[in-house]
Amino acid sequence: MSASGDVAQDPWSAPGPGPGTGVATVPDAEALRRPSDSPLRTAMRRLRRNKMAMVCLGIVIFFVLIAIFADLLTKLEGEVLNDYHLDLVDDYGFPRIGPTSDHWFGVQPHDGRDVFARWVYGARPSLIIAFIASLASTFFGVLVGLVSGYLGGRVDAVISWIIDLVLSLPYLLFAVAMVPIIVSIAGGVDNVTPEGNAQIRFFVLLFVLVFFGWAGLARLIRGEVLSLKQREFVDAAKVLGVPTWRLLRRELLPNLVAPIIIQFTLALPAYIVAEAGLSYLGVGLIDPIPSWGQMIDAATNYYAADPLFLWLPVLGVSVLTLALSWFGDSVRDAFDPKARR
Amino acid sequence: MLVYILRRLASAISVVLVTIVISFGLFFVAPSDPAGMLCGVKCTPARVAEIEKSLGLDKPTSEQFALYMKGLVVGRTYESGGVTRECPAPCLGFSFKNDQPVLGTLIARLPVNLSLVFGAALIFLITGVTVGSLAAKRPGTTGDRALVGTTLLMSSVPYYIIAILVFLYLVIQVPILPRPAYVSPFQNPGAWIAGMITPWLVLGIYSSTSYARYSRGSMIESLSEDYVRTARAKGLSDRRVTFVHALRAAITPVMTIFGLDVAGLLVSSIFTEKIFGLQGLGITALQSLTNYDLPLIMGTVIVGAVVLVIMNFIVDVLYSVLDPRVRLV
Repeated sequence: MSASGDVAQDPWSAPGPGPGTGVATVPDAEALRRPSDSPLRTAMRRLRRNKMAMVCLGIVIFFVLIAIFADLLTKLEGEVLNDYHLDLVDDYGFPRIGPTSDHWFGVQPHDGRDVFARWVYGARPSLIIAFIASLASTFFGVLVGLVSGYLGGRVDAVISWIIDLVLSLPYLLFAVAMVPIIVSIAGGVDNVTPEGNAQIRFFVLLFVLVFFGWAGLARLIRGEVLSLKQREFVDAAKVLGVPTWRLLRRELLPNLVAPIIIQFTLALPAYIVAEAGLSYLGVGLIDPIPSWGQMIDAATNYYAADPLFLWLPVLGVSVLTLALSWFGDSVRDAFDPKARR
Repeated sequence: MLVYILRRLASAISVVLVTIVISFGLFFVAPSDPAGMLCGVKCTPARVAEIEKSLGLDKPTSEQFALYMKGLVVGRTYESGGVTRECPAPCLGFSFKNDQPVLGTLIARLPVNLSLVFGAALIFLITGVTVGSLAAKRPGTTGDRALVGTTLLMSSVPYYIIAILVFLYLVIQVPILPRPAYVSPFQNPGAWIAGMITPWLVLGIYSSTSYARYSRGSMIESLSEDYVRTARAKGLSDRRVTFVHALRAAITPVMTIFGLDVAGLLVSSIFTEKIFGLQGLGITALQSLTNYDLPLIMGTVIVGAVVLVIMNFIVDVLYSVLDPRVRLV
């Protein structure tokens, strides 16, 4: 049931993280030198042939482009992010206008801010948080899993206990309780500008997501390392006197490429969901940083009068997570076609 | 067996202890001014000092922690303005906001979570396993592929999005589903069901998709076993082979996940509570944050962790009865 399947079969042919890893050290493995035999390349080839995966990738790229060119798109519309148009909302806070040529998706209830601008800028924190949190939790998860699994003994006992602890905490309850507390430890709330507070929230949210995110991968990698370190090539490297750090990096890590990439791609949609969800609950991102979760929360009171205000962020979150998680599934299938459901 | 249980118990207790230490460290060390908040606008420094003294906030952190732990184990007494209050054994203190005992508030809200999980779990276990088993009997057919496609689609869209849309469009705009509200089942069972049916259906059907997938995979495996062929050869009816012989073996891994999911749902149904307006544990945590009600936040987190750890412990022990091999690990 190893997720890495064929990758684990041959430690030499898997490309390492750096350029020019390994291959030349096996003189009798002519066949392995052909690039097409590298598991990573085989997987990439399978992935490229998967139409569904490519469509999903296209959708993800579309959102990434929206996020990158958010300023440009807003300028094109002729609007400025977070500009208040109080003349465009009535006394009860309902917007007076629908979509117009000035405000493509209408204006927000209450303060009359432009919905299009909030939406395109909202793609930014979502993608940035998902990407950084995935990178960071993958990095820590792999590091901890490698060290724990390889060293074993007391180190492993302590690390495993910590992993179990993090995994057995009530994640959502803890995240909800932690965010405001860490914000106040980081010096937020009263004596900081709204922009400063929003910045602090951004980093606190990242911290909380990574804090709860690394443990699952660490456990997986630890398990893989436990079985990998019984193999002959590890013994061989040890006999040759390869230092531990180098052994971990050059011998073990390349064998873990498949589970790491799979977990990374599957973490992306999970973090998008988590960010928008926590922002919806009011413990994630806050004004003036625009976020889809916040927009959904604000829109629930005006959904009938202003459906666009609700549906745009709803579609943003749903379509992006859908595309990312289907892409992640395809990546897993590409590395391990047997696991296909 | 006993050794395994004791070892699991030790790790469960250590998790609870560490949770208490971490949450105490986080919450009480955080710079905040609970005394000033309690006191309100017209506040004299003397009154602030008095409140701080009664809450024990004037003492060093280590001593406060010792007091808190003492309160948890043997109870403690609070003195404020000449009035003494007893807080019996698992004492989580009094709310900064409304002065009610924290444990009482949380116990009053726990039935909401229990009801929610009870109904939803019933729905997702039964529909999930039935649909999954039916699909497993004919893998690759149109019905099976439709099922796999739907579950994949459902599980990729965040739960809260679906819950919000159902609430806004099927409860508010077109009132097909009854408006959620919690009524105690012992007072009025009918109203209890009517009030909980919407969240049950939404949570139950959403979660049943992953159960359909687990049990499908697990059933495909057990349907290909030799003993299933033997059962068929004996001339047993198809239904008996599927739902008695094969399902019995296939259900074990599903039940493990079920136990863990129920435990998880019990303490993190916060989206369901917020969207459907149910006053459970999660919403308590969310509300206590806006008031900066430290004892209530801490109490919620500790109760949540304890409930989760106890449930996980029970699941592990039950699983070790079902599958003795795990005891060796």
